[in-house]
Amino acid sequence: MQHEIAPLVDAILRAGEKAADEVEVYYAESRSVGVDLKRTIIGEAHESRARGIMIRTVADGHIGTSSTDDPARWQACLDAALASGRLATAQEWHGLPGPADLPAEVPVFDPAVVPGVEAARRLAADLLLGAADHDAEVIGGSASLSLSESVLANSSGVFYTRQKTGVGASLEAIRGTSTGYEFDRSCFLDIDAVDIGRSAAFLACHSANGKDVATGSFAVILSPVALAQLIGHVVVPALSGRNVHAGRSWLAGKIGEPCMGETLWLYDDPFTRGLGSTLWDAEGMPARRTEFVERGVLRGFAYDLKTAYRYGEESTASAVRSGPGGSPGIGMHNLVVDGPRGAVDEERAIWVHDLVGAHTANPVTGDFSVELSNPSWVEGGAFGEPIRSAMLAGNLFDMLGSIEVLGNVPRIIGNVILPPVRFNNQQIIGK
Amino acid sequence: MAEARYYDIRHVSGQVTHIDIDNGVIESAGTSFFDKAVVRALGETGWGVIAIDNFSGRSQAEIETVLQDALRLARATEEKVFLADAPSRILPVPAPAPDPREISLEEKQEMLAGIEAAAKVPGVASTRGRYTEEINSVRFEDASGHEYTYEITRCGFSVLAVARKNGLLQMGRESEHTIRGLNLAHKEELGRTAGERAVALLDAATVRGGTMDAVLDPELAGVFAHEAIGHASEGDIIKEGGSVIGGRIGEQIGNHVLTIVDDPTMPEFGFEPVDAEGVAVARTEIITGGILTSFLHNRETLAAVGGGAAGHARGVAGDPPIVRMSNTFIENGDASVEEVIEACGTGILLKGSRGGQVDPGRGVFQFNAEYGYLIRDGEVRDLVRDVSLSGEILATLHTIALCADDRRMHQGFCGKSGQSVPVSDGSPHVLLKSAVVGGHGAA
Repeated sequence: MQHEIAPLVDAILRAGEKAADEVEVYYAESRSVGVDLKRTIIGEAHESRARGIMIRTVADGHIGTSSTDDPARWQACLDAALASGRLATAQEWHGLPGPADLPAEVPVFDPAVVPGVEAARRLAADLLLGAADHDAEVIGGSASLSLSESVLANSSGVFYTRQKTGVGASLEAIRGTSTGYEFDRSCFLDIDAVDIGRSAAFLACHSANGKDVATGSFAVILSPVALAQLIGHVVVPALSGRNVHAGRSWLAGKIGEPCMGETLWLYDDPFTRGLGSTLWDAEGMPARRTEFVERGVLRGFAYDLKTAYRYGEESTASAVRSGPGGSPGIGMHNLVVDGPRGAVDEERAIWVHDLVGAHTANPVTGDFSVELSNPSWVEGGAFGEPIRSAMLAGNLFDMLGSIEVLGNVPRIIGNVILPPVRFNNQQIIGK
Repeated sequence: MAEARYYDIRHVSGQVTHIDIDNGVIESAGTSFFDKAVVRALGETGWGVIAIDNFSGRSQAEIETVLQDALRLARATEEKVFLADAPSRILPVPAPAPDPREISLEEKQEMLAGIEAAAKVPGVASTRGRYTEEINSVRFEDASGHEYTYEITRCGFSVLAVARKNGLLQMGRESEHTIRGLNLAHKEELGRTAGERAVALLDAATVRGGTMDAVLDPELAGVFAHEAIGHASEGDIIKEGGSVIGGRIGEQIGNHVLTIVDDPTMPEFGFEPVDAEGVAVARTEIITGGILTSFLHNRETLAAVGGGAAGHARGVAGDPPIVRMSNTFIENGDASVEEVIEACGTGILLKGSRGGQVDPGRGVFQFNAEYGYLIRDGEVRDLVRDVSLSGEILATLHTIALCADDRRMHQGFCGKSGQSVPVSDGSPHVLLKSAVVGGHGAA
């Protein structure tokens, strides 16, 4: 791909340099193939072929962006980026990065992942195989494989390329009116589809005939799936340098202060195995590990170049493609939730597999009240009696200050890597 | 290779324009372009679907190759899919007035800046205004010879204010989206409302969670209709056995005061002139007087399940059509808002929405209000914050005791299967008896 794309990228850079001080081009193309289960048979097979160009220009501190999925229209896209820059408020700007010596590679490409219907069918068959271990009905499921290739180039000489693969599978099961959903996603062909199917069917079965719980205060264990949603919705935006300086972060002004429990570390590790692993960020800055919280003490925030230049900070190479039209914005590569590990489910507690409505948490204050999915008593390392229905209400920042212990086994959920976490004295609203 | 039993091609091209003003600074503004198609073919058994970028200008031979690729994919399927017959026709798209394209980005930026600035009332530490405008040019054709082209322009804005006092933060947010043309003029009042609410919430109490009677405002009750019944009535979910209301057509599942409708013909944010399978759109009453009357269907789920009408397939550019809601609402009752509050007696009035979610198989939903007021002795009293509501669909629909006569629609986006589509939800004020309210305070 590199050979085909290099002349196009070069043409855009040369044309852009005539009208702007600096130009950045991101090109990506991807192909994914998957199948959807309708109950226990395949109802749909699908393929997606996508590509796109994202252009960013900088002229006298005016940053402009545009994107298109038609490479032949790059000139119109470049014009739109320049026009966009003329509208944006000019800001302090000290240049795009030049090329750097980067480590050899990060774990995001698996040659064994070849998008194709047969491979997707095998995964779907494994999902069903696992689900058959428990007496639940399959509602649906999906399995897909993807391959993407991308190029990031700029007028300072950066020309980085990346190949990335992806595998994903999910299954939803039901017994009576008790549902179970499980999924996994990886850059490698290492997901265990049998186990995903088995887990979904187990959850549906286990939660059938749940008993009510009284309103009160209990020890609660949030699974990685449940906690990752709250962290992604509340903590990730609070760590964004842009939100900090804009006055929208609860963590603003607290660097050096204990903000969370002293057994908690939060850092972005782009080099570890995760879905966001990378050697360079979306602006071509060499990726680096960034510490946010150490022993509960706030150490820093995430910055891209734009925000760093504006506020006299240093970029933490935290740019990801989160902005309008896929333009760079501040985000996380692999946010790791870490700390001393131990058994979370020896002492009696309420285990929470998933949340209904996690996205309704207040992103500014961290307050939330959500319905629980597959809540269950656990004790002695084993599931006890299921709970029919309950809500959990609290404040995520307070909760992260009252962590009892982090579990032993971490899981990759989107761009967060985290274990289950046990919290003391949480407010449960029963029925 | 065998012929396709059916195929369709839905090609959407267009542009997205945005403006982002953050504390008075124009962070970014500009336009991006897209051009995507979804080609579906029904083979001997099920669907082969190809999503493909940059579709404009493809020759007939290239399109034929994509169709054959889709058919080849379809051979991997096992489910025998049938499509119900459904009427096919297109409605005119209301002309946007004023057409956002006739107004320069600079002018839009100035109007948005005015709204954003209005949010900066005393006590507000941070403001942000965002404008989005999406123009879709849609071309649809299918194996039966139906062909439609139309263009639709959706635009709107949101304004966020964050107030700060003694280390405490609170936010207020307002938004308005439309298909009827640029809506930025003279909207400073919404900015001010967002700012004033953020400041007021600094002194609001939090609610102690528990069971209580609740009055939902039109925005939140609209989300209730969407989450508690809309999703559960979607034909694809019914078909796979994932909804607690499956097989219950004709049953009294709610109080007789309750009628819930999905209407894609309404010229609101969820308007569709024709559905994504070329099927004529029509108003569908999901619940009439408490009785479940219709599911929302596409052609496949209508054939498989029955009970309702096709015409509810929607797809974002580049994604296959699935069963979706459009404009979903609870019909007006005959009580006044005052009567609804008075009938509540002691409870809580919940206002605004931060969204919601449902597990239709379990029949459990949750949604969150932006703020609320305690109701004591039939009177609206103290402001409270961070309140949510959860419930079980089948139990809760019977507990809607009273509907007022002041229905209003609110716009938003609804996510399903990774696709986010524009929708509107609406309702009059409604009284919900014995609602489970979530909160972690002491009030």
